[in-house]
Amino acid sequence: MEHILEVKNLHVSFDTFAGEVQAVRGVDIKLNKGETLAIVGESGSGKSVTSKSIMRLIPNPPGRITEGQILFQGKDLAKYSERQMQQVRGSEISMIFQDPMTSLNPTMTVGKQIMEGLRIHQKMSKSQATARAIELLKLVGIPNAEARLKQYPHQFSGGMRQRVVIAIALACNPKILIADEPTTALDVTIQAQILELMKDLQDKTGTAIILITHDLGVVANAAQRVAVMYGGQIVETGTVDEIFYKPKHPYTWGLLASMPKLGASDTDLIAIPGSPPDLSDPPKGCPFAARCPHAMKVCVDHMPDHTEVSGSHKAACWLLDERAPKVEKPVEASVGGAR
Amino acid sequence: MATREKLVEVKNLKKYFNMGKGQMLKAVDDVSFDIYKGETLGLVGESGCGKSTTGRTIIRLYGATDGSVTFNGEDVHGKKNKAKLKEFNRKMQMIFQDPYASLNPRMTVKDIIAEGIDIHGLAKTKEERLQRVHELLETVGLNKEHANRYPHEFSGGQRQRIGIARALAVDPDFIIADEPISALDVSIQAQVVNLLQKLQRERGLTYLFIAHDLSMVKHISDRVGVMYLGNLVELTESDTLYNEPLHPYTQALLSAIPVPDPELERSRERIILEGDVPSPVSPPSGCRFRTRCPHAMDVCAKVAPKWQEAREGHYVACHLYDEELKEN
Amino acid sequence: MSKRENYVNDELFQPAQIDSHKSEKIAGPGLSFWQDAWIRLRKNKSAIVGCIILLVLTILAVFGPYMNEYSFSEQKLTRANLPAKVPVIEKLGIMDGTDDMGNDMYEMKGLEEGTYFWFGTDGLGRDLWTRVWQGTRISLYIALLAAAIDMVIGVAYGGISAYYGGRVDNVLQRIVEILVGIPNLVVVILMILVLDPGIISITVALTITGWIGMSRIVRGQILKLKGQEFVLASRTLGSSDNKIITKHLIPNVMGVIIINTMFTIPAAIFFEAFLSFIGLGLQPPIASLGTLIEEGYRNMQIFPHMMIYPSIIISLIMIAFNVVADGLRDALDPKMRE
Ligand SMILES: Nc1ncnc2c1ncn2[C@@H]1O[C@H](COP(=O)(O)OP(=O)(O)OP(=O)(O)O)[C@@H](O)[C@H]1O
Ligand SMILES: Nc1ncnc2c1ncn2[C@@H]1O[C@H](COP(=O)(O)OP(=O)(O)O)[C@@H](O)[C@H]1O
Ligand code: SF4
Ligand code: SF4
Ligand SMILES: [Mg+2]
Ligand SMILES: [Mg+2]
Repeated sequence: MEHILEVKNLHVSFDTFAGEVQAVRGVDIKLNKGETLAIVGESGSGKSVTSKSIMRLIPNPPGRITEGQILFQGKDLAKYSERQMQQVRGSEISMIFQDPMTSLNPTMTVGKQIMEGLRIHQKMSKSQATARAIELLKLVGIPNAEARLKQYPHQFSGGMRQRVVIAIALACNPKILIADEPTTALDVTIQAQILELMKDLQDKTGTAIILITHDLGVVANAAQRVAVMYGGQIVETGTVDEIFYKPKHPYTWGLLASMPKLGASDTDLIAIPGSPPDLSDPPKGCPFAARCPHAMKVCVDHMPDHTEVSGSHKAACWLLDERAPKVEKPVEASVGGAR
Repeated sequence: MATREKLVEVKNLKKYFNMGKGQMLKAVDDVSFDIYKGETLGLVGESGCGKSTTGRTIIRLYGATDGSVTFNGEDVHGKKNKAKLKEFNRKMQMIFQDPYASLNPRMTVKDIIAEGIDIHGLAKTKEERLQRVHELLETVGLNKEHANRYPHEFSGGQRQRIGIARALAVDPDFIIADEPISALDVSIQAQVVNLLQKLQRERGLTYLFIAHDLSMVKHISDRVGVMYLGNLVELTESDTLYNEPLHPYTQALLSAIPVPDPELERSRERIILEGDVPSPVSPPSGCRFRTRCPHAMDVCAKVAPKWQEAREGHYVACHLYDEELKEN
Repeated sequence: MSKRENYVNDELFQPAQIDSHKSEKIAGPGLSFWQDAWIRLRKNKSAIVGCIILLVLTILAVFGPYMNEYSFSEQKLTRANLPAKVPVIEKLGIMDGTDDMGNDMYEMKGLEEGTYFWFGTDGLGRDLWTRVWQGTRISLYIALLAAAIDMVIGVAYGGISAYYGGRVDNVLQRIVEILVGIPNLVVVILMILVLDPGIISITVALTITGWIGMSRIVRGQILKLKGQEFVLASRTLGSSDNKIITKHLIPNVMGVIIINTMFTIPAAIFFEAFLSFIGLGLQPPIASLGTLIEEGYRNMQIFPHMMIYPSIIISLIMIAFNVVADGLRDALDPKMRE
């Protein structure tokens, strides 16, 4: 399989008032052509920092990439100059953010904002760019595109704005689209529209998508592969089926068990006790050890390696070591069988 | 459930906000429902549909434009003397959505939790007050050492638990929880929901649980009401609502929720609604959902559907069920 | 794998006793907002330097006039227009009582050996050291008084306007709009014409429109705060308006009030100086920094010392207040936290 993007051992830190925050601590990501990879994890686990690092959008200071490579089509983006990155951003890799209200410029017409990238990256003439902008708006399902081009963002509703943001992101046919919680700020009925749109567009354009979310439902709906993040690290990766039906990491178990099942009759939710680690003083061993019901002595001081479960499935947990006691996934963590 | 006692009765409640220039924003427009003692009534709907406004009007944070709210047989919005008002404030409490804005950053956790105790004079001495605070902290799963800390030192889930302790301090019967878990992570949501359920079992609390996440609402609630643009469109037992939703909006809402089950997601037929929620300043005539409803008929634009009991204990406001009702 | 086996022995695969409540522990001391702000301020070097300068200037403003035997109004034409002369420093060739040409003015005026005017004298032979510190005292006094009155009126006005909202807010804001419409200087000049120039009239003139800025800031803050959920929570608990204002609102706007006051003080000092400079200020023999600069300005070409010292002092005060205010803003601004 061909990797269009490969992130190797990425470390990102922020120098803050309270000391160094190690937001990302050794993340490996492989993204295949045309697939959707979901990154899930709770707030502060480093999802956004990882994705912003790929785009080299980490503000410096306070942030810096302390270690690692970001190989895009074989070239290391971590070594690119700001100038070179500007060529990449928006044309090869583009990004959409959570809040459709703030990711558009309120003083510029929607048409201008879509055309901006086209004029810069693709050196299109004005009439060419206008034609393409209309095409794009139609593509993302905005009716009456010609008239809409001349309007300002505040004349659009939240869902429509997110559609415009997607249109801008797709304008130059990027190879990778990074979507950081693209539907979190939207209502479920609008979320369904946007997810459908993104799948539809992927079929048409073949763009690879990194979808960042904390909603496992969205993951199940939209992704082919999943990376579960916790405490600045990826703790488990696999295909959606592997992650949902055969998860190996206790954190993934916990996540699945703490979700209410719409179809099933009521059982108590299994909460994960405690709170995530403080990344300004990250634990030496497994980041989940303080909350893990299966924690062993080894977990406290030694970081578990990524262990291969199958060709596409890896988890970083000492339970996968042959010397560990055999622990099965708890029943509450099973999904499916709902109907 | 033979002897269900009504605790809260909401009748034709309206809350309009004056937007100036003669415009009225009809945040809640003619909503009626009852809440029974000891139950959890869920309230779902998209943002801006009036859930919070309903909750806030019930607890008197807003004055009602029209309609009435009765609590334990007494009119909530009627004139009251100070003592009555205080008693009422003790019996009804609220938990808020934003864990970062709902605690005063300049006060210690101890003083935040003890605020109700102080107002209602529930502790005679300083020691008793501290004792109560410690008990409450323990109840919500925090420890004594947290009493002298300031809110900014806590995580979202912990803050939400402090908010719960604050509400519990005055020993209420009825708690309005306005999206208490929306701002929290999944793993933390379960902590808070479990805590709320445990408290309900131990103290016989009644909840109005507001959320936009239907799966969590269904999990915690006995009955669920669905709101759309200031109206209640459907209300029934939570299982019934999930298994046999009557209102087209409820059906769409249910089908829009992505479930954490890839196989099911792949095979599921979705009802994808067109367009967005219209503005509550100028809602559509007749049925407010008609601009997005896949079953809209001519009558829907002219006549607002009545709020009626289509099946036993199953209320709905939709013209599709007019026929059915006539036959019965 | 093999490398791992070296340090990870089988024994380590025993269940560990981990108390999940441990992860709820909070490290470090629990600091209140003010303690936290103080730590921040302490780390800000320029703010600390500013504080020290202000402290020294204040001490001098209080005690400076008594540090020699001259009074601020004692005139003696025989010793008029003397440049500064300070013991010890005179040996360095500066502040040695000589004019540009190098003539010892003290000798020329026939003053006895051992006479020192640390900042020189003015055209009427009054000791400038005494007058400068006297003037600083009065300038500071006017500014502090004006700032305090601004604060009281502004906070009360803005607070009431925002907290009660609705019609009250409407009426109060219309009044403010009218007041803002009248040029400041016109109001001040009218005030001074009516009241005769003096400390009180200048203070009144300064405050008559000065509080508007504060009231607007406070109103904005309170409007924002009163809709916040912690205020709503307090209302559902049955708090009285008084309690909400004193326990929830004021502590949360305190930071902004302090910062704003710190910026008003130098502005008031400057405005007073400006009024004095254009002749609307205090009347002799009372001096403020502004009147001293004005007097000095008239003789700037021949006797530069008369203007230099008060100018340096007023600049120091302005810079120090601004630096401290900046530091306070960084320390108190909640956006900078976390
Ligand atoms: N500019 C910054 N300065 C300091 N710390 C930062 C900065 N940006 C992020 N961090 C820290 O990095 C860590 C990871 O943050 P990140 O934004 O990647 O989380 P996330 O997984 O995207 O969470 P969410 O779901 O809330 O978006 C957090 O501990 C955060 O506090
Ligand atoms: N204090 C207020 N002033 C004016 N409009 C308001 C106010 N509070 C709520 N609204 C409006 O009322 C409608 C319903 O709001 P709300 O009850 O908060 O919705 P929900 O809680 O369902 O998201 C929205 O259109 C909102 O903008
Ligand atoms: S490594 Fe240990 S602590 Fe970490 S998840 Fe696995 S069993 Fe739990
Ligand atoms: S009343 Fe008409 S428009 Fe409204 S939900 Fe029913 S069918 Fe749809
Ligand atoms: Mg993020
Ligand atoms: Mg709300």
